[in-house]
Amino acid sequence: MLSGDQVNEIVINVENVPSGVQNHRSSNLSVPATKSGVNSSFGVVSSVSGIDVTEPQVYSRRNDRKAKQLLRFSPLKELFSQTHHSPDLVDMDTPCTSHENIQGRQKLIASLIPMTSRDRIKAIRNQPRTMEEKRKLRRMVDKEKSKQPRRIFELNCCTQCLNSISLAYRRCRNILSELLNSISLWQKTLKIIGGKFGTSVLSYFNFLRWLLKFNIFSFIVTFSFITIPQFTVGGNNAFKFTGLEFFTGAGYFTDTVMYYGFYTNSTIRHQSGGASYNMQLAYIFTVAACLIICFFSLLFSMARYFRNNFINPHIYSRGIAKLIFCWDFTITHEKAVKLKQKNLSTEIRENLSEILQENVKLTLNQQLTRLSVHLAAWVVSTGVAIACCVAVYFLAENNLEFLKSHQNPGAVLLLPFVVSCINLAVPRFYSMFGLLEHYEVPRQEVYVLLIRNIFLKISIIGILCYYWLHNVALAGEECWETLIGQEIYRLLLMDFVFSLADSFLGEFLRRIIGMQFITSLGLQEFDIARNVLELIYAQTLVWIGTFFCPLLPFIQMITLFIMFYVKNISLMMNFQPPSKAWRASQMMTFFIFLLFFPSFTGVLCTLAITIWRLKPSAECGPFRGLPFFIHSIYSWIDTLSKSPSYLWVVWIYRHLIGSVHFFFILTLIVLIITYLYWQITEGRKIMIRLLHEQIINEGKDKMFLIEKLAKLQDTERRANPGSFTLERTDVEEPGPLYSQEHEAAHVVFHVSSFLEEALPNDCKAAFSASSVNWPDLSHGPHL
Amino acid sequence: MGNKQTVFTHEQLEEYQVGVMSGALTGLFYRYQDLAPQLVPLDYTSCPDVKVPYELIGTMPELKDNPFRLRIAQVFSEDGDGHMTLNNFLDMFSVMSEMAPRDLKAYYAFKIYGVCRAGDFNNDDYICMWDLEQTVTKLTRGELSAEEVSLVCEKVLDEADGDHDGRLSLEDFQNMILRAPDFLR
Repeated sequence: MLSGDQVNEIVINVENVPSGVQNHRSSNLSVPATKSGVNSSFGVVSSVSGIDVTEPQVYSRRNDRKAKQLLRFSPLKELFSQTHHSPDLVDMDTPCTSHENIQGRQKLIASLIPMTSRDRIKAIRNQPRTMEEKRKLRRMVDKEKSKQPRRIFELNCCTQCLNSISLAYRRCRNILSELLNSISLWQKTLKIIGGKFGTSVLSYFNFLRWLLKFNIFSFIVTFSFITIPQFTVGGNNAFKFTGLEFFTGAGYFTDTVMYYGFYTNSTIRHQSGGASYNMQLAYIFTVAACLIICFFSLLFSMARYFRNNFINPHIYSRGIAKLIFCWDFTITHEKAVKLKQKNLSTEIRENLSEILQENVKLTLNQQLTRLSVHLAAWVVSTGVAIACCVAVYFLAENNLEFLKSHQNPGAVLLLPFVVSCINLAVPRFYSMFGLLEHYEVPRQEVYVLLIRNIFLKISIIGILCYYWLHNVALAGEECWETLIGQEIYRLLLMDFVFSLADSFLGEFLRRIIGMQFITSLGLQEFDIARNVLELIYAQTLVWIGTFFCPLLPFIQMITLFIMFYVKNISLMMNFQPPSKAWRASQMMTFFIFLLFFPSFTGVLCTLAITIWRLKPSAECGPFRGLPFFIHSIYSWIDTLSKSPSYLWVVWIYRHLIGSVHFFFILTLIVLIITYLYWQITEGRKIMIRLLHEQIINEGKDKMFLIEKLAKLQDTERRANPGSFTLERTDVEEPGPLYSQEHEAAHVVFHVSSFLEEALPNDCKAAFSASSVNWPDLSHGPHL
Repeated sequence: MGNKQTVFTHEQLEEYQVGVMSGALTGLFYRYQDLAPQLVPLDYTSCPDVKVPYELIGTMPELKDNPFRLRIAQVFSEDGDGHMTLNNFLDMFSVMSEMAPRDLKAYYAFKIYGVCRAGDFNNDDYICMWDLEQTVTKLTRGELSAEEVSLVCEKVLDEADGDHDGRLSLEDFQNMILRAPDFLR
């Protein structure tokens, strides 16, 4: 009779058979050196519970080896699956299984001992175990740790230093992350929104909160480094304060810290011989620092979203499985749950009809019609966008004469008013195209709409920037930077006023119409795309405007704060939860990408042109009198090169930042690294495909072995009808299929132990392996 | 009224740290106690063996309208019958909280969706066709017809079953969840 160990080895080897081999495997036996205890207990375990124990262990082990990277705690799954619902099995008396058990647990304990107690508690907390087990585990770890001899610290002070530094760093990081989690803004409100409306609407509010963080940071930086020093060097304000300034930004506000023009170009010195503060450098460096930190923050967020949301192109799935398993557990409101269920069934039905219809091919005529409709829609939408841009440009050009003829100071609001009207009306016009166009995948429709809207908004901002930098800056006005700052302020404010009006009036009216007059319409759904684009538009303006109006982040901060509450109230009153699953994280990836790519890069281009090509105004601002903005840096480098202690800065500037060769080499290195990573990615894709095929082949192997087992059992039964005993223990009825399986399991069990003795070696091998798979009998041929 | 000192001994508080974050323990205990004030004593220093029956657990606001509440209670309860001790209750909340890592949630979600085992006899890790049909029915509350339900289940198995053995193992489930980043936010 085979000994326990040999059985193990045979079992393991069958599982390692290379894919594609579907014949009789016993000829390929070899004896690998593997860990013992996998499925040792054929002859040993005879109770019902033994089957529970061994079977999950086997699968956990096999799957563990293949899919270790999927689950952080997968080596411990075998420990879990047997201990979660039957804790008494921990102390099983069967030698091999408890040996396995102890091994796994010792691995876990060994990994927990070196951690700090805080990390250890966290790691234990993240285990899939019950509370009792976690406490037991902790006690065992503590016992083990106290057993270890206290190492006398013969480490030299260097390692001790490093140890204490790393400990302090880890502690700092933990404290910081816990602190950030606890002061998270609006946590409760967001939970309520998520509970009622789901994660998709929640993603808009999260985006808003994220932008708010940007603005808070920009405000703190600009306020502390530019505005506060300016306060100490006050200027006089020649204007009178009227209430209109809040809207026009002109008048009294022109000569305040709000705009570029007010800032001094001097080096602020309070006590003679005291510290000096160069306002020019401070201004340019502060704005640059804000933008650089925003850049990196955007880049890292975008990279993180890309990494999480990248769909493997090999395994395309229509998404039914995701629909089923992604029930939104955050929804707690009863009506919302019912609604979600109704929506889910509608969506499942649509999905099914899509699947059923996907074999329907369109005739050539139909395809051509569709294509021409799409083309026409694109032409019209692009045409409308360009027409709007041209209109805005002409209006802006003629604005100056218009202003001179009309003395009303409120007349400057005409241009922002027109721009906001365009931003209000044209996206809704684009949405109407959706009625005409047909898309195979509904998500395409959303993307197309988003692209059209972003094109409109970015082109309007673009044309305005062109106008400002080309006309206003070169028109010879005094303090043109302040003028631009005022324009941007007005645009922002008008946009804010329109959003408020839309929320208070527009949505409210829509609700009244939907509920009282045309009840078939019902409540509207929150249009996430449009709202997010409005946020992106406003943020782009803020980024451009920070250079000309340093207090703009502060204004945007207040705006976003108010917008949050307004949108929240309007949402609760006037909206219903969305009917389609929105795939929030893919959309968020796309939005952050939009924020980065046309928006932020456009801002960088605009500011680069300003700083390198434009002449600052001669009378006002920190850069007055210089031929270009960038000359402030040049002169600073010049002054530095005269003092001997800062020559390294000059060297860095001249040879690294100012040198073409350096950038050429850097670009070359970056391109090489990108190419290498790209090749690595390709290789990994191939590997994923191969592994996937291997999994499928293993499944086929399994089915083959089951059939073989069934055939052998048939022949045995015909040969010896009386030698099987069915043991049926009294277990509660689990379900219709499983009492059958249970019987089958026992049949297999006893068959296997019987046959181990009776059959020749190679049959035994195939047998032992296949008897592992006893639940599959429900799908194989019935006994 | 009891404060922390009279509800739990100091050692118990230390011990509970491996299960729940320290700030949450008292709040959760009072919620547990509120469910069944007569059953649950205010003084846990003697570790009483108290189980709150499923009917009371199911009235909690977080679970009341959840179509999976029975299954959630069963997964976390001591004997799989839905009646929960304090330890089970704390386990459930710690897994369902936002701080729990995704792997942990995925593991328990797999157990929750795998409905069909009623006894602890057969708690192996698979989601079979029967489980899927139960899940879909719960999710849609009877709006779909029986053949639509089975068609959906077939499609799900088609998409998600990696090794084509007719049911979803934990790995298949996790594979699918990894590609669906909206899962359990």
